[in-house]
Amino acid sequence: MQDISLHLLDIIENSVRAEAKNIKVRVIRNVQKNRLRIIVEDDGVGMDSQTLEMAQNPFYTSKEEREKKVGLGIPLFKQNAEATNGCFKMASEPGFGTVLTVDFQLDHIDRMPLGNLKDTLLGAIVGHPEVDFDINLITREKGLEQSFHFDTAAIKEELGDIPLTYPDVIEYIDQSLYEGIQNTSVEDV
Amino acid sequence: MKTLADLKKIREKAQEEMKLRGGNVRIKIVVGMGTSGIAMGAREVMKTFLEEIANRNLTDVLVTQTGEKGLSSMEPVVDLIEEGKPKVTYGNMTPEKVKKVVVEHIVNGRVVSDYVVATGN
Repeated sequence: MQDISLHLLDIIENSVRAEAKNIKVRVIRNVQKNRLRIIVEDDGVGMDSQTLEMAQNPFYTSKEEREKKVGLGIPLFKQNAEATNGCFKMASEPGFGTVLTVDFQLDHIDRMPLGNLKDTLLGAIVGHPEVDFDINLITREKGLEQSFHFDTAAIKEELGDIPLTYPDVIEYIDQSLYEGIQNTSVEDV
Repeated sequence: MKTLADLKKIREKAQEEMKLRGGNVRIKIVVGMGTSGIAMGAREVMKTFLEEIANRNLTDVLVTQTGEKGLSSMEPVVDLIEEGKPKVTYGNMTPEKVKKVVVEHIVNGRVVSDYVVATGN
């Protein structure tokens, strides 16, 4: 993975596979604390403590149909965070969902760029119309906070039976995310 | 800033169009978005499909994402599913190949056999 938003996309796909109906994504760029924090919270099937432990092992995968039992998504994300003095925490409750919190040291030389957050979120939102996404982007810098909130449930309600892949809707979501990312400057990292 | 009022206008326009041509989905595009697909560029493939749909105003096409399907060496992998036709799976996709598939297969109805890695179920 070349950037943090690709890891984020991988984690979102995990949540979808865990049958999540609601996925909350928070990206918090805190300049004072020199920290970039990503939080993904879902209401999927969750994991027991043993599975949670194993999910961080590269030789474990929940994908039963696989011949090669390798699951690198979570271990690589963890490794990339820890390489920047960051940390990686995953908590889960069977039947309730999973929360993942990943911290990167903002100015660490080994920290990957955040990458194309807009295309990541746009693809996930449109590609999973059955899932509601609640997205918050926050920058804290020089005592000021800038934030952007995007809730797809409200959009779907407004659209009724018009699909998210309708051309004008794609442009609407793309443009909204673009403005939100620009206004909060979370990508300037 | 984009507001929900903009969406209301879009809905009215889309509903008018649907009255004219019916609300049928002609082609479903499924982009493989497992870990290996993502690492090989599936996000850009997905984005290019969405751009082409928006630019060409393709209102009868649906795009979704799915997990891995055991074709890791050919990622990014994309399925095109059309009513009454065998499923076509394209492999080793790039944004350039996506543009060609949109023009040839989705708009003109000709399968791009050079990129096909599997057909049927």
